[in-house]
Amino acid sequence: MMRMPPFKLHTPKTLNDALNIARELSNEEIEFDWIAGGTDLLPNYKWHLNAKPHVISLSGISELSKLNSNHIGAMVSLHDLAKSKYTHPVLVKAADSIASTLIRRSGTVGGNICLDTRCYWFNQTEQWRESIDWCHKCDCGTEADCRVIPNQNTLCVATYQADLAPVLMCLGATIHLASVNGIRSMPLHNFFELDGMTRNVLQHGELVTHITLPEDVNEWKGDYQKLRQRESWDFPEAGVAALWRMGTKGPTQLRIATTGLESIPGLHLEEANNAISKWNGSNTIDTLADAIRKSVKPVQNTWYSPSYRKKMVKVLTKRACAGLIER
Amino acid sequence: MLPSAGDVSWSAEINGVNKRLNIENNAILLDVLRDQAGSLGTKRGCDMGTCGCCSVLVNGEPRLSCLTLAAEVDGAAITTVEGLADGHHLHPIQAMFAECGGSQCGFCTPGFLVVTSALLDENPNPSDKEIKCAIEGNLCRCTGYQQIVDSVRAASDILTKGLQLEDSTSPKSDPHPGFSGG
Repeated sequence: MMRMPPFKLHTPKTLNDALNIARELSNEEIEFDWIAGGTDLLPNYKWHLNAKPHVISLSGISELSKLNSNHIGAMVSLHDLAKSKYTHPVLVKAADSIASTLIRRSGTVGGNICLDTRCYWFNQTEQWRESIDWCHKCDCGTEADCRVIPNQNTLCVATYQADLAPVLMCLGATIHLASVNGIRSMPLHNFFELDGMTRNVLQHGELVTHITLPEDVNEWKGDYQKLRQRESWDFPEAGVAALWRMGTKGPTQLRIATTGLESIPGLHLEEANNAISKWNGSNTIDTLADAIRKSVKPVQNTWYSPSYRKKMVKVLTKRACAGLIER
Repeated sequence: MLPSAGDVSWSAEINGVNKRLNIENNAILLDVLRDQAGSLGTKRGCDMGTCGCCSVLVNGEPRLSCLTLAAEVDGAAITTVEGLADGHHLHPIQAMFAECGGSQCGFCTPGFLVVTSALLDENPNPSDKEIKCAIEGNLCRCTGYQQIVDSVRAASDILTKGLQLEDSTSPKSDPHPGFSGG
């Protein structure tokens, strides 16, 4: 039995109430976490990974659950996203590939975007982590070094392993945030910060409210491919999304994004633009896939080796781009 | 020092019976069901959302009770494995698990029964792919899953073709053999 650390749960019914609770806690310099579906946070809490004394639940806030073709609320469940007639087909495929049916019933879009980075030196029981004298991401006050890349405790290299982000980035998604100081928006690829602990630009007391997609979203075709140990359930060891708009002589626009390889998902604009400017069918896809392989830098902190994951990025890119040359 | 959790009033309709309990503010639904509501059929497996043993229906939807905060389902209708049968009249999926060998050691069985009963409620005639998708979050280390898929298909036949289930009030299918309850 995993013993849950004690914390005070708040269950606001409106976004304003939630933000006000966050402000009150912040004013008193009390740490807290937001909880959406809980499928990431609660296992981490049960393993006593950076548990906070207060948790604010977003499950009762109905205004965060709106879903249509261009608007995805942060509290839309992954199951509802995958089953909705409004969802882009590639997003359906990515959402349907996340974990298991049971996890998707609880897990949310906002939670998936903000998924905590993972590392096999970190996602372990408290006793296991104590036996290796902790790690940088959860050092329990010891200032422990990173176990993946020793002799540097300034950067966490835990891996971002969420599936929705690469597809949403390729679709040109904008993420919308709210705090008591107001609201702000940005392209999704600017939301992430290259550090496994900071992870993204969210300030203390700020949360994701929704994601919007451009009006032309349904003109984009593509695919999402992922590598994992067990097809029914695991986090991606590597994931590649490819989305394009087709012209008469080939693709006129192409976007490639990856996940499961670094501390943030990667949007590979340069490589994709090179491919478009020199488009020559399957030869270009081979060159593109090799360029994507070279651009990613996985480290030894998931179950498959970095070299295998890099090799598979090339394979996954080719598979994801197969629709570009199908007639 | 983390603060201790307080007591809060919590109510739910558990297997058709209204229950009002005092629970810890941060209580997990699995703990409330097992330790306070007496639903010992809801099994604690991995406690991390991996195995599906703790599955229950919350307002008809399958959920992992080990990853559900009880406060978030306050006032909900919760069905555990004990709520599937109508007295001694087993739900078709329960009868077919017994008939087809879907249950061996039995520890994972409550989770499978809850999840597959929800599948059959939603789709009485699922394909093999749909059955496998529905149970992808449930682990079984005994059956190899084939008997479980067979059980769901057999239960689906009963539901869609109107086949008669053997009278489950007979001692053979009595869930408490040797105990008359009288």
